[in-house]
Amino acid sequence: MTRDDRPLSPDIQIYRPQLTSVLSIIHRFTGIALSIGAPLMVWWLIAAAAGPAAYSALHGFLASWLGLVLLLGWTFSLFFHLCNGIRHLFWDAGYGFELQTIYVSGWAAVAISIALTLTSWIISFGMKG
Amino acid sequence: MIIKSSDQLPRNTLLKRFPVPKNFEVSPQSRIERGKTWPAPAGATSIKKFEVYRYDPETEKNPRIDTYEVDLDTCGPMVLDALMKIKDEIDSTLTFRRSCREGVCGSCSMNIDGTNWLACTRFITDTAEPATIYPLNHLPVIKDLVPDLTHLYAQYALIEPWLKTNSPVPERERLQTPEAADALNGADGKGPAACILCFCCTAGCPSHWWNGNRFLGPAVLLQAYRWLADSRDEATGERLDNLEDPFRLYRCHTILNCTRTCPKGLNPGKAIASIKKMIVERRN
Amino acid sequence: MAAKRLRSSFDRTQGLGSAREGVGHWWLQRVTAVALVPLSLWFAASLIACARDDYGALLLWLHAPHITVLMVLLLIALFYHMALGLQVVVEDYVHTDRIKIPTVIVIHLGCFGLAIAGVIATLRIAFGG
Repeated sequence: MTRDDRPLSPDIQIYRPQLTSVLSIIHRFTGIALSIGAPLMVWWLIAAAAGPAAYSALHGFLASWLGLVLLLGWTFSLFFHLCNGIRHLFWDAGYGFELQTIYVSGWAAVAISIALTLTSWIISFGMKG
Repeated sequence: MIIKSSDQLPRNTLLKRFPVPKNFEVSPQSRIERGKTWPAPAGATSIKKFEVYRYDPETEKNPRIDTYEVDLDTCGPMVLDALMKIKDEIDSTLTFRRSCREGVCGSCSMNIDGTNWLACTRFITDTAEPATIYPLNHLPVIKDLVPDLTHLYAQYALIEPWLKTNSPVPERERLQTPEAADALNGADGKGPAACILCFCCTAGCPSHWWNGNRFLGPAVLLQAYRWLADSRDEATGERLDNLEDPFRLYRCHTILNCTRTCPKGLNPGKAIASIKKMIVERRN
Repeated sequence: MAAKRLRSSFDRTQGLGSAREGVGHWWLQRVTAVALVPLSLWFAASLIACARDDYGALLLWLHAPHITVLMVLLLIALFYHMALGLQVVVEDYVHTDRIKIPTVIVIHLGCFGLAIAGVIATLRIAFGG
């Protein structure tokens, strides 16, 4: 006896965010962010192939404030998706499913991706002078 | 903050819920309204508030949250004891499933303070103030804290959870080595066969929320693995054929809310990864 | 809606039966992921090293044969991984077939087109003057 008019119990509206679900959704968001950056990378290559005029137009945008903010976001997305992706590959091989390991590897992925993002930006700015 | 086992409670709460609008993707009939407050009796000293999801199918009204003030001095230690006390002494219309009161039957599974657990094994002192009690997530609600599990049971039937053999029936038992038995029961008693089908894991799986009509979910997939791993079962290939589907199995993206929330300490995430490995292995 | 009630829960769960396939997509996602671990690290490191280079230096760098090869491999692995990943995201959240199926087709064709564009641009730089 099933009725069609039964209310549905709440899910994402009330479920507690935990490291498991939060890192998973960040992995998805960073993947989407990288997917938006990938055409930009192709544009960069085409601009480089097209000549100095096309290239400097793109370079100008990337060096602007907006461009730098987007690049920072893209860099973090790359490093987080990479670190968490490696974590996923271990799971696919069957390793790392004990809760303690899930949590330690999760925090490690966050820490390493932030460290890599900061390091890469500091080095990049250091190369200027 | 490192969690070592699923019964460990988080020390801090940075975010109580995901930053989505309050009624994000909620149909008009599921929208929750504010309900009554039932104050504690006079003279009660140790008062705790419980905010409980209520829904009455006999009326046309929407679900609501009722707040009960419970005197803990005259209440047992577990959340289920509080629910029983509310039903006995404060509001007899409060409806919930329960049976063994010791964490082995799986009846009283519900969402307590945002995560799924058994009410009979959750200490009241381990809940927030106020404690928030909802039914298992993303399921049609029959009444109050009683969700309709029909679809979940149908998904369980889909994996044919019984022994399938071709070889002739032996004189006595079908024998199994202790190691093979451990693969099912777990050397620590937390193997796939120890599942009590409380569905805390499936109700907490975001993939099952969005694709539950076709994705089987962690509880059913854990049981599917239980039969795949059983040395006495002879239909492994057929079972894997039945599971290898972009929706039935591969909606699992290793979110791992399931392993985090299992009130019996089982590991559905690991079992699902083992199923995926078996599918790769059979074509390599 | 009434017709839905006339079917049993079990029948609705059966749907059209198991597709008996799905591991191909899952496996290729993992293979491209494994390829992308070293390739994206190499790309990120190269970007940092070339952060302040001018247009001419960039062209010289892309001219080198081993760089051309790595760039082409990166583009292929990246866009394949991206197409598979985005397909899964769409399948998760879009349930109306008449929107989902064309979107997935566009994702695959788009990624293929972008990959070809990137590869051709790279080769033009490599073989150009």
